[in-house]
Amino acid sequence: MSRGLALASAAALLAIATPAAPQEMDHAGHMMGDMGGGWRMPPMDPNMPMIPGLEMALPPVEPFLAAAGIDVMTLPEARPGEVVRLAPGDTLDIEVSIVRRTLNGHTAAMYGYNGQYPGPLIEAPQGSTVVVRVTNRIESPTTVHWHGLRLENRFDGVPGLTQDPIEVGESFTYELRVPDAGMFWYHPHVREDVQQDLGLYGNLRVTSPDPDYHGPAHREELLVLDDILMDDAGFIPWGREAPTHALMGRFGNVMLVNGVTGHTLGARPGEVIRFLLTNVANTRTYNVTFGNARVKLVASDVGRFEREMWVQSVVIAPAERYVVDVVFPAAGEVAIANTIQAVNHFRGEFYPHVDTLALVTVAGPPLDDEVTRAHATLRTNEAVTAETAALRAHLGRPADHTLEATVRVQGLPLPIVRSMEIDTLYIPPIEWNDAMPMMNWLSAGTQVTWILRDADTGRENEDVHWTFRQGDLVKIRVFNSPDSFHPMNHPIHVHGQRFVVLARDDVPNDNLVWKDTAIVPVGSTMDILVEMSNPGDWMLHCHIAEHLSAGMMFHFTVEG
Amino acid sequence: MAIWVRNMGRWVPGRKGVSWGTGSGRPGGLLALAAALAVMAAVPDAESSGRVAGSPSEVAGSLAGCGPDYYRFPMVSTRRVPGTGNATGVGEIVFAESPFGISLTEDGSYLYDFTVRFERLNPARTGTYVVWTTTPELDEIVPAGEMTDPAAFSGKVAWNKFLVVVTLEPAFDPGAATWTGPIVIRGMSRSGMMHTMAGHGPFEQENCAAYGYE
Repeated sequence: MSRGLALASAAALLAIATPAAPQEMDHAGHMMGDMGGGWRMPPMDPNMPMIPGLEMALPPVEPFLAAAGIDVMTLPEARPGEVVRLAPGDTLDIEVSIVRRTLNGHTAAMYGYNGQYPGPLIEAPQGSTVVVRVTNRIESPTTVHWHGLRLENRFDGVPGLTQDPIEVGESFTYELRVPDAGMFWYHPHVREDVQQDLGLYGNLRVTSPDPDYHGPAHREELLVLDDILMDDAGFIPWGREAPTHALMGRFGNVMLVNGVTGHTLGARPGEVIRFLLTNVANTRTYNVTFGNARVKLVASDVGRFEREMWVQSVVIAPAERYVVDVVFPAAGEVAIANTIQAVNHFRGEFYPHVDTLALVTVAGPPLDDEVTRAHATLRTNEAVTAETAALRAHLGRPADHTLEATVRVQGLPLPIVRSMEIDTLYIPPIEWNDAMPMMNWLSAGTQVTWILRDADTGRENEDVHWTFRQGDLVKIRVFNSPDSFHPMNHPIHVHGQRFVVLARDDVPNDNLVWKDTAIVPVGSTMDILVEMSNPGDWMLHCHIAEHLSAGMMFHFTVEG
Repeated sequence: MAIWVRNMGRWVPGRKGVSWGTGSGRPGGLLALAAALAVMAAVPDAESSGRVAGSPSEVAGSLAGCGPDYYRFPMVSTRRVPGTGNATGVGEIVFAESPFGISLTEDGSYLYDFTVRFERLNPARTGTYVVWTTTPELDEIVPAGEMTDPAAFSGKVAWNKFLVVVTLEPAFDPGAATWTGPIVIRGMSRSGMMHTMAGHGPFEQENCAAYGYE
């Protein structure tokens, strides 16, 4: 194990290991009530029977809730996120603090950046450097990772690799160089499964100097997608020493948009609304539909597509971003929804499932101006194709490295093992829902090791170490092996660099876009070409928060 | 990217509703595979007494790079049509073109490009082979096209569980609601292996009938 990541792991374990006061909760209405030691079982489909032998089983870790022992009403109430526009060289102070939030009628302690949900939307001009001074006022160490930025390595926010964790009461100053226009985001890199889920996330938008960077739109709207797991008594506790839900990640059952339930907005017929989507959920991949609207896909993580295109929905994995220009054609109410075919593993069936994420009230005189008319045109972005055309030459050559994604388990209860052995007769390409909440909840990061294995050396996770030269174009094949105890989709994130997805399952991608995160379905291969443009030590990991905590990461070095 | 909408009445009532919250349209108590298994049951014909050469695994070996191995499925002859009893084949799927890497229909079903490839499938002596896709319940059937090449056929399918069925027809009718001729060869998507746990493994004490299974 490398020294840096050993430190990172240690820091992660220490992160929430602070002692907590005994939990007192109201379990009224919950199907299982207090199961002992402060645990409550996550809500389950009442039509699904309990697995015999697991009725009173508990995760093998201690429960954790934020600000235990503190009267929540003494905490400052969080407020909606604000926009902070920074000029080159400007400094923003961000305090990471405990806040009071009310979700689904339940008031509880959560975390916030500057007391806001989401954290402030930071805007900075492309090519500038801005400064963010972060002070930690929560109850455990933290850092801030600036997701997608090709910034100086020492400001990447990885504890034990690029910095020491920010201890409680201490500060760290990040200098953010922003060479690429796009929608980025920031979040902790310490126990993301807890800290990010409790509200520590925000966007950083880098604006292009080109006024014609995107086509015209009447206005812009953020859609920061999240979910959180609750019952009638409040949040289902997280694991203190290690995550629960280590098999599939912690799916929430309460949908949040921009940090709230019941998000609403208005629109006029014909109005072109640019939606900027970010998925900050721990594990959920969304299929976002916009009713009868016409949806034009224009950009993703680190810039624009080669060609704009019409889409029926936006499939967005954890940590990905997409930009769509949407026109609602007629008056009425339209649901922005997560529209999926869920799996019921017990019944062995798929079934349609819809979660309303936001409601759009379309009303008023229709718009039919130049902006509306421009929406009908799909643009080709010559600046992008000029950059990406040469990258396709790498399609035909072998990968420089191949990673196999797999999993190893130890010490799981036998009923879970038996169920999984039956269940894995078929595994869907994407797990859109938590179909076996009990089994998933009971699997802890101490029992599950998610693995990225270097096919050439057989080395796994932190034992993998690749070295490149600045300027290298490195082709990496990621194979999501279906031959494991529990295959699952993985959103793969590369820190500090940008890449394109050249091909999937050997089918070339004919519309390239610069990315920093891309999902690999079960059984599939994904070939990415990484532009090693930024010197330093950088992480490559799965962005399902529980998989990351369960080991699915390593770092590589780019020598300048 | 082409907009691809399945023109069938499978959409969930209220799917485009505007009420808050969560909605699910869970299937009823039909044993989903029963009808499919009936279709899959082989009916030997007179010529099928010999070894079936060219196993699905052998055919699959020639399909490298054509989709995830994991989701390949065997195509099995019914042995009902003269000249096809020794035919074997493999189906494979890959997501249809999508900027997201995962291609979905309006209701969230997977949208796949599928290819079926055959060995020892002799050309039709009379009429023509037609490829169909259908649900395991056989309640929706889509003509995928005429199979002019007896070695391979490619099309699209937009169900998470599905069958690919090749029949012998007098002629190809793209507007046909279902087949009229005998089934030559057929296969089920790997997802067809997913079935109820009721009565099995840790749930062996569960009464299947309580969950609608007979």
